[in-house]
Amino acid sequence: MKRKIFFSVICALTIAFASSASAKVKIKFFYPVGVAGPLVKVMNGMVADFEKQNPDIDIEPVYAGNYNQTMQKVQTAVMGGNPPDVAVVEISELYSLLQMDALIPLDGYIQKEGGKAFLKDYFKGFLGNAYGRDGKMYGFPFQRSTPILYWNKDMFKAAAAKLKAVGLDPDRPPQTWDELVAYAKILTIRQGNQTKQYGLIIPGGWDDWIFEAFSRQNGSQLIKSDGLTVTFNTPENLEALKLWVKLMQELKVCPVLRPWNITPDDFIGGVTAMMYYSTGGMAKVRKTAKFNWGAAFQPKHKQYGTPVGGGDFHIFKGIPKKNQDAAWRFIKFMTSPQMAAHWSIESGYVSVNKKGYNLPKMKAFLKKFPQMKVARDQLKYAYPKMMAVNYQLIRNAMTTNLDAALEGQKTPEQALADAQKLMEKAIKGQ
Amino acid sequence: MTEKLENLKCYLFLFPGLIFLFLFTYIPIFWSVWLSFNRWNLLSPKPRFAGLENFIRLWNDEVFWIVMKNTFAFVTISIFPTMILALIFAILIDERMKGRVYYIYSLFYPTLIPMAAAAMLWVYIYSPNLGILNILLAKFGLPKLGWLGSSKTSLWALIIMTFWKNLGFFMLIYLSGLQNVNRELYEAAYIDGAGWWRRHIQITFPLIGPTSLFVLVVAIILTFRVFDQIQLMTEGGPGNSSNVIVYYIFENGFKFFDWGKANALTAILVVIMLTLTVLIFGIFGKRITYTSD
Repeated sequence: MKRKIFFSVICALTIAFASSASAKVKIKFFYPVGVAGPLVKVMNGMVADFEKQNPDIDIEPVYAGNYNQTMQKVQTAVMGGNPPDVAVVEISELYSLLQMDALIPLDGYIQKEGGKAFLKDYFKGFLGNAYGRDGKMYGFPFQRSTPILYWNKDMFKAAAAKLKAVGLDPDRPPQTWDELVAYAKILTIRQGNQTKQYGLIIPGGWDDWIFEAFSRQNGSQLIKSDGLTVTFNTPENLEALKLWVKLMQELKVCPVLRPWNITPDDFIGGVTAMMYYSTGGMAKVRKTAKFNWGAAFQPKHKQYGTPVGGGDFHIFKGIPKKNQDAAWRFIKFMTSPQMAAHWSIESGYVSVNKKGYNLPKMKAFLKKFPQMKVARDQLKYAYPKMMAVNYQLIRNAMTTNLDAALEGQKTPEQALADAQKLMEKAIKGQ
Repeated sequence: MTEKLENLKCYLFLFPGLIFLFLFTYIPIFWSVWLSFNRWNLLSPKPRFAGLENFIRLWNDEVFWIVMKNTFAFVTISIFPTMILALIFAILIDERMKGRVYYIYSLFYPTLIPMAAAAMLWVYIYSPNLGILNILLAKFGLPKLGWLGSSKTSLWALIIMTFWKNLGFFMLIYLSGLQNVNRELYEAAYIDGAGWWRRHIQITFPLIGPTSLFVLVVAIILTFRVFDQIQLMTEGGPGNSSNVIVYYIFENGFKFFDWGKANALTAILVVIMLTLTVLIFGIFGKRITYTSD
C-alpha cells in the first residue's frame, strides 16, 4: 500500500513538473563581450529583468567569449543542427550566416509592431548592417558602437607650453590627421631608450575596423556595399596605411600592435595621451580613470567618417515557432528605451533606441558625462560596416597584412596588394 | 587448445576497449583522411570529392609554411631545455637538497593550475607597460619587449610560458624514474671514489633511459598539440607569427569553415606524428638499458 502511494505521488509530481516545464518557453541566448569591462554581470541582470516581466519565458544566457569565439560557437551550433534561439553576432558576419541559411527574416515581427513607424525610433546608422541582399531584415541592432578618440586632458595641459609653441591648442583634441601627428609627437615623452608616455595608441586586434574608419575619412572604403567588390588596395587606403606606419615605425609615437583588450588599461594607467577605441570601452574608462579625460570625433582628412561597429541580434531557423516569437519579445525588450539606455550607461555603447536619450535617467547621466554624447553625435558621419560572405577569412587577410605592414615586414604597398588578392579569393570561395 | 582459449579470452576482455578505440579514434582518423580529399566549405556546404585540391592549396599557402616552421621551432626549442632542466631538478630533489619541499611545490604547481588561468596570468606578466617582466627588464636597463604584441617575440613568449607550465610534470616523471634506480650502485661508485658528475653520467643517465624515452615522446606529442595558450594569449598573431598547426586546423575548421583544408592539415599532422613516433622508437628503443639489476 505504502508503495502505491509513494508511486502515485511521484507520478503526480512528475506530471506537474513536466506541465509547468512545457508551459515555459526555454530560450538559448549566445552573446559576446567585445570590449574590456565586466559586462557579463550587466547582461545577466537585464536577462533577469526580462524573466521577471515575462514569467512564461526562460532565458539561458550563454557568454560565448569575444566576437570571433561567439561566431565560431554559433556556426558550429548551426552546423550541428542545434542552433541557439537568439544570438548577438558581430555585424559583418551577417552574409556568412545567410550563406548557411541560419536566420529568419524579422520583417513579419516588425510589421506587427508598426513597420516603419516602429523602426523610426532606432538610429538609421545602425540599421544599415541589418539587411540581406534580398532586402529583408535579418538583424536587429543591440550593442552598437563606433571607434572614437579618447584623450587625457591632464596630459594635454601638462604639455601646454610645448603645444602652444607650435600653435596647437592644449584644450582641445586634434581634429585632422595632420594635427593628430603634431599632437602625438609633442605628447610622446622619452627617457633614454624608454618611452615613458606615448602620444597615441591605435590598438591591434581590431585594427581592420579602425583602418576602415581611416579609409572612410580619406573618402575610400574597404569593400563596396554590394559585399562583392574589394577596394582594399586604393591610393586613399595606401595614404592611410602610410600614416600609420609613419606614426609607429618612423616617429615611434604609437606602440606597434598594442593588444585590443590591454589598450584601455594603458590609457587609464597613463601610458598614452590618446587612444582610438570603441565607445564600448567608455564605462571602464569612466569608472577607473583618475584624471580628466575627453572623447572626441576621430580626426578627419578629406572628411569625417567612421564605420559603425558592434553586434546585432539574430533569430535562428530550425527552432520551434514559439521560441522564435519569444526570442522576438526578448529582442524588443532589450532594445526598448529603458533597456537600451541602461545598457548604454553601463557599457558605453550607444543607445540604439533614440527614445533612450529622452529618459530623465539618461539626461542626468549625460550631463555628468558629456563624453558619452560623442559616439551618438558622430553617427552623422557613420557608414555601415563592410559586409561579405566568408568574413572571418577576409578579416584574417586584412589583419595579418596590416600587422605585417605595421611591424615593418612588408611595405604598405605590398600589404595592401596581398590583402586585396586574398580578400577577392575569399569572396569567391577559392 | 587451452592456449587458443586463453587468447580468445584476452580478446574478449579487450573487446569493450577496442570498440571505443575504433569509434572515437580510428574511424574519425579515416573519416578525416577521406574528407581531406573533399571540397567542403561555407560556399559548397556538401562535401564533394576534389582529389588533391586541398593539398595543392596548402602547398601554395604562404601561411601553411609559416605554421609548419613555427610548429617545428616550438617543438625543437622547447623540448630539450625542458627535459634537461626537469632531470636536473629531479636529481636535486631526489638527493634531498635543502629546501626540497619548496622546490617540489613551486615547480609542480604550474602543472596543477588550469591552462586558462595560467594563460591569463601570463598575459598580464607580458603586458608591455604594466607587466612585471618589462618592469624588471627596465630595472636592469634593458629595452622593453613587445612580448605577445610583436611578431619577433610572440612565439618565444609562448614557448617560455609552456616551458614553465610543463616543467613540473616532466620533473615528476623523472623523479619516479629515479626511484627505480638501484641505490647500491651509487654507494658502490661512491666507495670507488666517483664524484657527483661521474656518478650521474655513468649511472643515472644510462639507467634512466626508458624514462627519458617516455618523456621525449610525451613532450613531442604535448608540444605538437599546443593550442589552449595560443587561443587564449595571441590567437596566432600578430600576423601568424605564433600560429601553429593545431591552431591553424582550428582556424580553418571553426573560423573560416573550410573543412576540406582543415582535414588535409589534420591528415598531415597524423602522418608527421606517426613518423616521429616510429622513428624515435626505432632509433632509441633498441639502445636503451631497461634494467638496473
